[in-house]
Amino acid sequence: MGAASSRLEKALGEQFPEGERYFGLENFGNTCYCNSVLQALYFCVPFREQLLEYYANNKSTGDVEDNMLTCLADLFSQISNQKKKTGVIAPKRFIQRLKKQNEIFRSYMHQDAHEFLNFLLNELVDILEKESKIVTEPCENSSLKKNSNSPVNGQLNGNKKEPVPTLVHKCFQGILTNETRCLRCETVTDRDETFFDLSLDIEQNSSITSCLKNFSSTETLNAEDKFFCDKCCSLQEAQKRMKIKKPPNILVIHLKRFKYIEQLGRYKKLSYRVVFPLELKLINTVDNSDLEYSLFAVLVHVGSGPNHGHYISLVKSHDHWLFFDDENVEMTDESMVQTFFGSAQEFSGNTDNGYILFYESLAEKS
Amino acid sequence: MAANSSASAAGAGGGAAAAGLKTYFKTPEGRYKLQYEKTHSAAVLHYNHGGKTVSQLTVAYLKEKPAGQGSTPSTPSSSSGMRSAAARLLGTGNGNRTLSFVGGNGVNRAVSGSSRIGGGLGTSVGIGSSQAVANYDGKGTYIIFNAADTLFISDLNSQDKDPIKSIHFSNSNPLCHAFDPEAKEGHDLIIGMGSGDVYSMSLRQQLQDPGRKPVAAQHYNKGDKDGTSTGSRCTSVAWVPEREGIFVVSHSDGNLYVYDKCKDGNNECTFPAIKDPAQLMISHAKSSKSNPIARWHICQGSINAISFSPDGAYLATVGRDGYLRVFDFSKEQLIFGGKSYYGALLCCTWSSDGKYLLTGGEDDLVQVWSIDDRKIVAWGEGHNSWVSGVAFDSYWSPPNSDGTGENAVYRFGSVGQDTQLLLWDLAMDEIAVPLRHPSSGSPTFSSGSPSAHWDNACPPTGVLQPSPRMRDVPKLSPLVAHRVHVDPLSGLVFTNESILTICREGLIKIWVRPSQSENNQQLNSSELVLGNPVSKDRVITSSNKATGSSFKQSSSVIFT
Repeated sequence: MGAASSRLEKALGEQFPEGERYFGLENFGNTCYCNSVLQALYFCVPFREQLLEYYANNKSTGDVEDNMLTCLADLFSQISNQKKKTGVIAPKRFIQRLKKQNEIFRSYMHQDAHEFLNFLLNELVDILEKESKIVTEPCENSSLKKNSNSPVNGQLNGNKKEPVPTLVHKCFQGILTNETRCLRCETVTDRDETFFDLSLDIEQNSSITSCLKNFSSTETLNAEDKFFCDKCCSLQEAQKRMKIKKPPNILVIHLKRFKYIEQLGRYKKLSYRVVFPLELKLINTVDNSDLEYSLFAVLVHVGSGPNHGHYISLVKSHDHWLFFDDENVEMTDESMVQTFFGSAQEFSGNTDNGYILFYESLAEKS
Repeated sequence: MAANSSASAAGAGGGAAAAGLKTYFKTPEGRYKLQYEKTHSAAVLHYNHGGKTVSQLTVAYLKEKPAGQGSTPSTPSSSSGMRSAAARLLGTGNGNRTLSFVGGNGVNRAVSGSSRIGGGLGTSVGIGSSQAVANYDGKGTYIIFNAADTLFISDLNSQDKDPIKSIHFSNSNPLCHAFDPEAKEGHDLIIGMGSGDVYSMSLRQQLQDPGRKPVAAQHYNKGDKDGTSTGSRCTSVAWVPEREGIFVVSHSDGNLYVYDKCKDGNNECTFPAIKDPAQLMISHAKSSKSNPIARWHICQGSINAISFSPDGAYLATVGRDGYLRVFDFSKEQLIFGGKSYYGALLCCTWSSDGKYLLTGGEDDLVQVWSIDDRKIVAWGEGHNSWVSGVAFDSYWSPPNSDGTGENAVYRFGSVGQDTQLLLWDLAMDEIAVPLRHPSSGSPTFSSGSPSAHWDNACPPTGVLQPSPRMRDVPKLSPLVAHRVHVDPLSGLVFTNESILTICREGLIKIWVRPSQSENNQQLNSSELVLGNPVSKDRVITSSNKATGSSFKQSSSVIFT
């Protein structure tokens, strides 16, 4: 470990970014799902900076009970305040808190990194919103639970007041609009939904651009799946499509690589080759915003099945690409990203596949 | 719409194996049919090299007879098997090549589905007819392609799936190659390596030699003194048209070197350090002996592909930074440039009249650029993944080809990592006026600010333009979208008789053009996939440009 760290320092040499820390995270038995997500979030600079700012502002109150937010902020501050530039840290307090908080993550089983990311962001939102309520509007009674993923289930606006956006919202939240056109009366119903990430169905030998197109393609609701039109006051055939109304600052894309196969009665991993560019624009926005994103982190699932395997992350920091594998940190280059696209044919053996992609908006930067 | 339906087509086939691939596709002018396949013996290569290299394809038209007859001594069985197979076909083909290849060895099955699978090279080839004379006439059309550490040469007009020649490189992998059909003397084949080294050689000499090593090859090295060979692999090589013996090599570090094949390749040469990697910097070698004779530092990150205009006046480059750049090659001056919608550009090519350029890249789009207007004139939407190869079909002529007026129509093709081949028709009179998208439900119409990109006159020389906005660029839909391979594609070439497609792993498919008489027959017979009668093949191969006159104009998109 020590050797690897010094190797990284040597490799970067004088280019080692001022004030930056590259630390591996110890694995406490199948906690790579957690480590890989933590690294991606740490190198999501706007998120890290806001979290550290929060930490600095709240440190003084001291007596607050431990929660996921304080544990994460504490971990980030620990990393950023290391005297050494590289090394290994044990995210012990964070993992303990996580296991206490949610029994799903308590076992030593292999966990889904996307589920964890979801859980973590929602948990942070809950805590932050509770806190802001205590401070600003202590008698608000609504219990808030953001739906981050699967926007199908949740409808948020309309019946609730817009809550104060938290740092999680500022970074990750985008708004989808669900346009449904009743085929009888032609009325278009718009329904907005918020999201923290986009979960995309994938196809063999396709691109993220194509997956996003499919995500926003027009779907016909008929037969069993008719739409209740308010104007017609009855179930009607309708056309539905989902577009992005407000693109997030940090765009998180989750590739649905774990698919339930009915014939098998279990989940199967799809190792499809899905290419993702280092720069991306959303082609499915409502106003053709032409907003450009730049890839800064890739979470990779290693392994052939959904119930076992390993997670690693590739992260871009100050124009260098780094490879995080639990306690190991190595320097790499951007062409490495291409090795995680997937396999063009089913049994060709490449099982190291990009699973969650993190893009940052370039507009935010300039 | 087009994008959606093609997406579902690809999706449906996505899980299926190779069996799901059709052996023909329909176009308004008729059916293109899979004639045969070419590949290398994959078993050897895949496991050693993990598919790190991407196969590229060069078609070489070898014209004259060689100076010396390549009589050869006995050779190990495998290579002699390959050689005799080639010799047989070439030998019989002297009088009339096109006839020989259909009838030459009595094999009429045009589809190679029946070929040996993973069989040893040469063992079953030409045993019955190996009495053929080994006179390497060398005349004919060859396809050159790379896979792993080997460069393969196949006879395009033979139905044999295996290559007739393989050239093994021990130090590095060949990644790109170019052939100069106009070379008057000396070397005509250049090969760029993963190490950044370059070789030139004579294709004919390689064909005459039975060995697996390059013969009489000249080695060139740009001679980086700092030894940073990583990140400077060759990405593309090209002969400069109309400049005998001059060729250029682009590299993954954003540099392009100009070489002269008539000079010694291993002279020490140094170029000044690059101060700002994002700036264009052209330096000439100080010594007249130096080879490379010049270095062009073009961009930050890799140059992914280069292409010369047919007259050699202009050089186009595309790269990691997403920019197309067009240079006046002899003046060494940037004429214009422009950016992809997003992501790197991966390929580029010129129309045969030098008026248009195609690029393709990581935004899944095919961009059409006008040289006169110095800007993008259309985006082709239809691929479901990155566009890895583009080419104009210079053998195609439009339905009413009276050649008058502005109504120029261009046919071009593109291949992508979505395993699809797309064909497009570009009618300039139809897209001359930029479409103002009446995009559904978009309120941005009210902004009323006309797009600078479209309304400006031709931009001044030397300006790189930013990405245009989505709604400002006219869109093209493909005429045909056909899934041609199981693996992502890496290139395509149009020849007089066919379209050649190659996948990253080095499998080549040859799609023969529809012929006029076949067209008529096809009207009656609805399904004809395998096994073409001899007569039909004759018609196909003897057809020429006139074939195109049977095309019907159609704006509908056919998905096969």
